[in-house]
Amino acid sequence: MPGRRQPPAAVDTTLCRRCQANAPTITVRTEPLCSACFAKYVSTKIIKRMESFRVRHAEAGKERLLLLPLSLGPCSMVLLHILSQHLSVQAEKSGRTGYRLLALFIDDGAREGSAALFERVKERYPMHTYFNLPLSDALSLEGVPELLSPLNQATPPNNPPSTTTDPLSTLLSTLPSATSRADLLHILLRKLVVHAAQHHACEAVLWADSTTRLAERTLAETAKGRGFTLPSSIGDGEAPHGLPFYYPMRDLLRKEIISFTSLVEPGLDEMILRDVPKAAVSTKNTTIDDLMKQYFASVEREFPSIVANVVRTTGKLKVPALREEVEEHCELCDAPLRGHAPERSRLCYGCIRILRQAPAG
Amino acid sequence: MPPHLCQLCHTSRAQILRPKNHARLCAPCFISTFEIEIASTITTSHLFHPGERIAIGASGGKDSTVLASVLQTLNERHGWGLDLVLLSIDEGITGYRDHSLEAVKRNSAELGLPLSIVSYEELYGWSMDQVVAQVGRGGKGNCTYCGVFRRQALDRGAAGLGVRHVVTGHNADDVAETVVMNLLRGDLPRLGRGTSVVTSMPSAVGMGTGKEWEGKGRVGEVACTSVKRSKPLMWAYEKEIVLYAHHKKLDYFSTECIYSPEAFRGSARTLIKNLERIRPESIMDVVRSGIDMAKLVPNAEGGPGSGKPEAVQRDAGEDAEGGCGGSNGEDAGGEMAQMERKLQQDEQAEEDGTETEIKIPTKAVNGQRHDRDTQTSATAAALTSNVNGQDHDRHTHPPSNTTTTVPIRTKQEKKSNRKATRDTPPPKQRLGQCERCGYLSSQAVCKACMLLEGLNKARPRTGIEVGGAGG
Ligand SMILES: [Zn+2]
Ligand SMILES: [Zn+2]
Ligand SMILES: [Zn+2]
Ligand SMILES: [Zn+2]
Repeated sequence: MPGRRQPPAAVDTTLCRRCQANAPTITVRTEPLCSACFAKYVSTKIIKRMESFRVRHAEAGKERLLLLPLSLGPCSMVLLHILSQHLSVQAEKSGRTGYRLLALFIDDGAREGSAALFERVKERYPMHTYFNLPLSDALSLEGVPELLSPLNQATPPNNPPSTTTDPLSTLLSTLPSATSRADLLHILLRKLVVHAAQHHACEAVLWADSTTRLAERTLAETAKGRGFTLPSSIGDGEAPHGLPFYYPMRDLLRKEIISFTSLVEPGLDEMILRDVPKAAVSTKNTTIDDLMKQYFASVEREFPSIVANVVRTTGKLKVPALREEVEEHCELCDAPLRGHAPERSRLCYGCIRILRQAPAG
Repeated sequence: MPPHLCQLCHTSRAQILRPKNHARLCAPCFISTFEIEIASTITTSHLFHPGERIAIGASGGKDSTVLASVLQTLNERHGWGLDLVLLSIDEGITGYRDHSLEAVKRNSAELGLPLSIVSYEELYGWSMDQVVAQVGRGGKGNCTYCGVFRRQALDRGAAGLGVRHVVTGHNADDVAETVVMNLLRGDLPRLGRGTSVVTSMPSAVGMGTGKEWEGKGRVGEVACTSVKRSKPLMWAYEKEIVLYAHHKKLDYFSTECIYSPEAFRGSARTLIKNLERIRPESIMDVVRSGIDMAKLVPNAEGGPGSGKPEAVQRDAGEDAEGGCGGSNGEDAGGEMAQMERKLQQDEQAEEDGTETEIKIPTKAVNGQRHDRDTQTSATAAALTSNVNGQDHDRHTHPPSNTTTTVPIRTKQEKKSNRKATRDTPPPKQRLGQCERCGYLSSQAVCKACMLLEGLNKARPRTGIEVGGAGG
């Protein structure tokens, strides 16, 4: 091109930007990459985030146990795949690993074929320990029944809870909106994950949220009045619910992770539980999370770095200092109550919004 | 179904369903509730002191028209003794501001409040129409010029009136929009300020004592210390402001600014509108989140633990907030694309710098790939060595156990220089005066003067008026 400055070491733009040997198959951010370099890019981004779980940080014979919740979606499957590789390399090199994975599948009963899929996952990555729990188990966790009982009483008396119908769907049917239902499900799922992790003496939880998902959560939580919980709930190593959370996929976009699933041999595609496409999207059953998902899907297409920047910016906020002994916490979501709840409330504003949309008065 | 009765008086038929809290009210009860809530924002934040002279930034639009009307009403009702004046900025936008200024003039007469108008043309030598003709509708957002210019114009206009406090019509939707926009732009300092009800310049710094702009028109000889800004409507929903204006039969100009808003604002605005449709309360929730997050911004002026509202320092550009309501952005995305490019450069620099710090994964991945890939080991070695070569140049890490071969220098080396620039700490925000116009500025030359310099350079010497939107 005339007038355009050529870099001193000429880069062959028809070849992969990194290895300059293979034909590019994908453009990552601005770089055309071949499949091999792209695969390396993905795994490097993830493993970099696993720094604190290197072999040298584990006492010999004392592997650290980490809980990996699997949704069986593309993100959690890619995380499982890369960490499986990471562990084999650790074992190959040093004869031991820095950590072990306990993989948990929580069945919300809403997606067909998940049980069979879970079996296939176990077969393919046999080196981990697996177990599954129904989401409705969260309803019997300590404190939950008392907290949610007012909702159960809201159901008509001629329709006695449980026995015939699923208690969870009965409970959800009493909530005021799709957003409330999605929020409560998410909180229950997190509660169950934390409970399972503590029960099995796991040291931390590894979540498979991509940058894109974390950006969605940043704006969604902001829209739900929970902005103050963001630094502690999406920061690596923070423990707002009793044990540390890590997000090893935080530097990858969702679209990158999805591209990766078809690169792996044999393909991960048939190991992935697809979201059931929502029938007739109306405002009535759109949730705040759906809205943010749509929004960032479009931002991700054109402005991927802006997505990542949202997450980075949130990460720069200070985690509010807690005075553990004196601080009261929301009984549903664990958020500190002081300044974030009405007087004498056991729930924060965000959770009150879940249970009934308009504040009293 | 029988008509609902007003939840407050239980006698009249409810006409209004409040988006804020789903309350069903009759029109008179809605009007008094709306006024009570504004009064409560004013009193709980101790916005005014008795007898204070207040300039109402009046654009002729619904927000400032409602603000003027409510303040006038409350001032009389509660005997606050405020000395209210209207202050308008004439940006010089034909078909928009000329008409809205007519609305302001009618309001001034109706409310019996004096009106003062400051024009860009007079102050800067450039009307917005001329600015846009010069820079085009694309490129740098028109709103950027408008916002920077408006801020100074308001301060100078206020100073000219001997006023230390300007109230603006920013509503809850605007503030929510700003919160979202600052998250999207990753602008922490503004995230720390955007939700405070009062912003203020630090006192004891003079203004307007230096040379004035070299262009035409001078306001000159204005000296004042601190001009406070506040937003009494920051908890009022836009929809309710429209309802209030409707039921009070207020006279306002409803056309949106014809020039394009910043892309980030446009994007945030759409998102807020969609959120409101899903859960109307979320506008308030975003504002609440914004206030909470402001306390978590490192070194935030509105620091934590302050029950009392504090006057938080503001900066240029903030007056663009909700300033123009246009959503007809022709260059929407331009600003985002610009930021995307900058972020990508930073990421690339980061990539070049930090990828070297992770030895094990680099090797692990390479090692793993060998058995599956068709890629030659020479390529892999070249990659590894390249990474190491870089490492030695800039870091003092002990040599890694990665296979080191002859360092091969590639373009990655060159790019890594950018990291040095990135690592230098951002310049400390210190407020001084602009060396050209004397306006408060953290830089030697204020933003308005920078923009003017660019404009004046490009202006044809003959001074021929450029017609139409060129470029
Ligand atoms: Zn390559
Ligand atoms: Zn809560
Ligand atoms: Zn009434
Ligand atoms: Zn200046």
